[in-house]
Amino acid sequence: MTHLVVKDLTAGYGDARVLHGVGLTVGEGEICAILGPNGAGKTTLLRALSGMIRARGTVTLGGADLTGHPPDTLARQGVAHVPEGRGTFMPLTVEENLRLGAYVRRRGPELEADLDRIHGYFPVLKTRLKQAAGSLSGGEQQMLAIGRALMSRPRLLLLDEPSLGLAPLVTRELFRIVQAINAEERTTVVVVEQNAHLALGIAQQAHVLETGRIVLSGTAEEIRADEQVAQSYLGYRV
Amino acid sequence: MSNPTETDAAQERTAAPPTPPRPAEWWRSARRQWAAAAVLAAAACYAPFQLVPFHVFQLTMVLVYAVALLGLNLLVGHAGQISLGHGAFFAVGAYTAAILFDRWALPYPLTLPVAAGAAFLLGLAFGVPAMRLRGLYLALVTLAIAIFLVPLLKRFEELTGGSMGLTLAKPAPPAWSGLAEDQWLYFLTLVVAVAAFLLCVGLLRSRVGRALHAIRDNEGAAEVMGVRLSVHKTLAFAWSAMFAGTAGCLYTWVIGFVSPDSFTVNLSITLLAGLVVGGLGSLSGPVLGGLFVMFVPGIAQDINDAAPGVIFGLLIIAVMYVAPTGLAGLAGRLLRKIPRKE
Repeated sequence: MTHLVVKDLTAGYGDARVLHGVGLTVGEGEICAILGPNGAGKTTLLRALSGMIRARGTVTLGGADLTGHPPDTLARQGVAHVPEGRGTFMPLTVEENLRLGAYVRRRGPELEADLDRIHGYFPVLKTRLKQAAGSLSGGEQQMLAIGRALMSRPRLLLLDEPSLGLAPLVTRELFRIVQAINAEERTTVVVVEQNAHLALGIAQQAHVLETGRIVLSGTAEEIRADEQVAQSYLGYRV
Repeated sequence: MSNPTETDAAQERTAAPPTPPRPAEWWRSARRQWAAAAVLAAAACYAPFQLVPFHVFQLTMVLVYAVALLGLNLLVGHAGQISLGHGAFFAVGAYTAAILFDRWALPYPLTLPVAAGAAFLLGLAFGVPAMRLRGLYLALVTLAIAIFLVPLLKRFEELTGGSMGLTLAKPAPPAWSGLAEDQWLYFLTLVVAVAAFLLCVGLLRSRVGRALHAIRDNEGAAEVMGVRLSVHKTLAFAWSAMFAGTAGCLYTWVIGFVSPDSFTVNLSITLLAGLVVGGLGSLSGPVLGGLFVMFVPGIAQDINDAAPGVIFGLLIIAVMYVAPTGLAGLAGRLLRKIPRKE
């Protein structure tokens, strides 16, 4: 069953067009990987999906039209965006960051349950609750950013380069957790990632983006098997 | 998958928490805060009976400025916006109170909510352009408010008394209190200041406070968390103006005289300087800033009669050099140097 449907999406910054008619569908509870070289428009695609930049085309999530709404409206519709470079609020404590994640849901008894849920996925955060987010390591900050996104109980989770600046071991652990979250909560995930090998390892389907267009789509296995992709976009033989 | 499930996590917590939350430490720090607050409250109530009236007046003015800085701190220190026009909101509060007094002989306690409300509405109006502007552009627009206010006040002579201003009777102490006028004004101001302080703390600890901090630290991330930037930026302006207007009303009570020349651009800039020197985004910053705004110009005058402005400027530079995070930051650093008892 398709959950996220993107049709003919164009977006850019000022006069510069970055996306030229991108279309894709993601099934409910699926993980979709977006691959491609630098400057292909991967981050722009996520920004357009979360409303951070204006876009043309249509985006629907579970049948509801998301096109052209401001980001705070989309956050209320269940879109959670973990921006590139994490976007954690450095001077705030870990707990404040997490509570901000539940901002759209106001206060409630479930909030405490949700905090517990996040601690289940990321036990390290629990030991750091009163610490300033800026004092965490890169990996912990990425975990905090994902945990914070989960606090809004999203229907669609957008992850932008979760591996950015992290050690290989930490990255692997992070992807394992993302997979666990997806399996347990049936959250649809769109992940943009430079580390194609890891991303294809958890995704069901993948799209290769080049200069603002999708040049190749398929299941994770198909993309992985594609020699040409490996050479031209991913830079190595898988 | 080795991911612990929720029930596992719950059991782990009840059986043996991996990291105890250290309640003892929390209690100790909370108790220390209460103790400090109690000492401060006692000192604040004791001081007016020991000081000469002029010093009581000075202390009252410190509180007045502290209320204004509390509002400015909300906007600049917590929401990360800037205002070079807060003197205007201060003036609107002061004039609203003065005109209500002068024209309609309204009992003075009633002038406070009206003055605060008027400033709130004006802040709301100026918060709308603030939604779209940031940094220097916002600074310029807010500076414009401060600039056009003085000529405007001189224009509507009927209401504002023109450049002569309005002279008013100060609130008289009721007979039951047995206080002198300066002491009565001091306690009135103290009550309002404490209420303003508590309101501000409550606001910052709520969902609204978290939203403001998020906007300050990372607008984009705040937006994707679902924080409505436009609503919160506008409201931050309005709340902030409301505190400034409240301070303005207190000013009218305490001084008993308003004139356009009391509220020039200089006031706006002094307020911002006072806040930065006191400590942006800290709780004690507005009070320390109030002390600075009240006393340092006088000290500058004492050092050199000919060029007090130069000395004042040099003192600001000196403080910022020694305490780049403001006096509040400096105080915090010194406190941490005191070895803690185990």
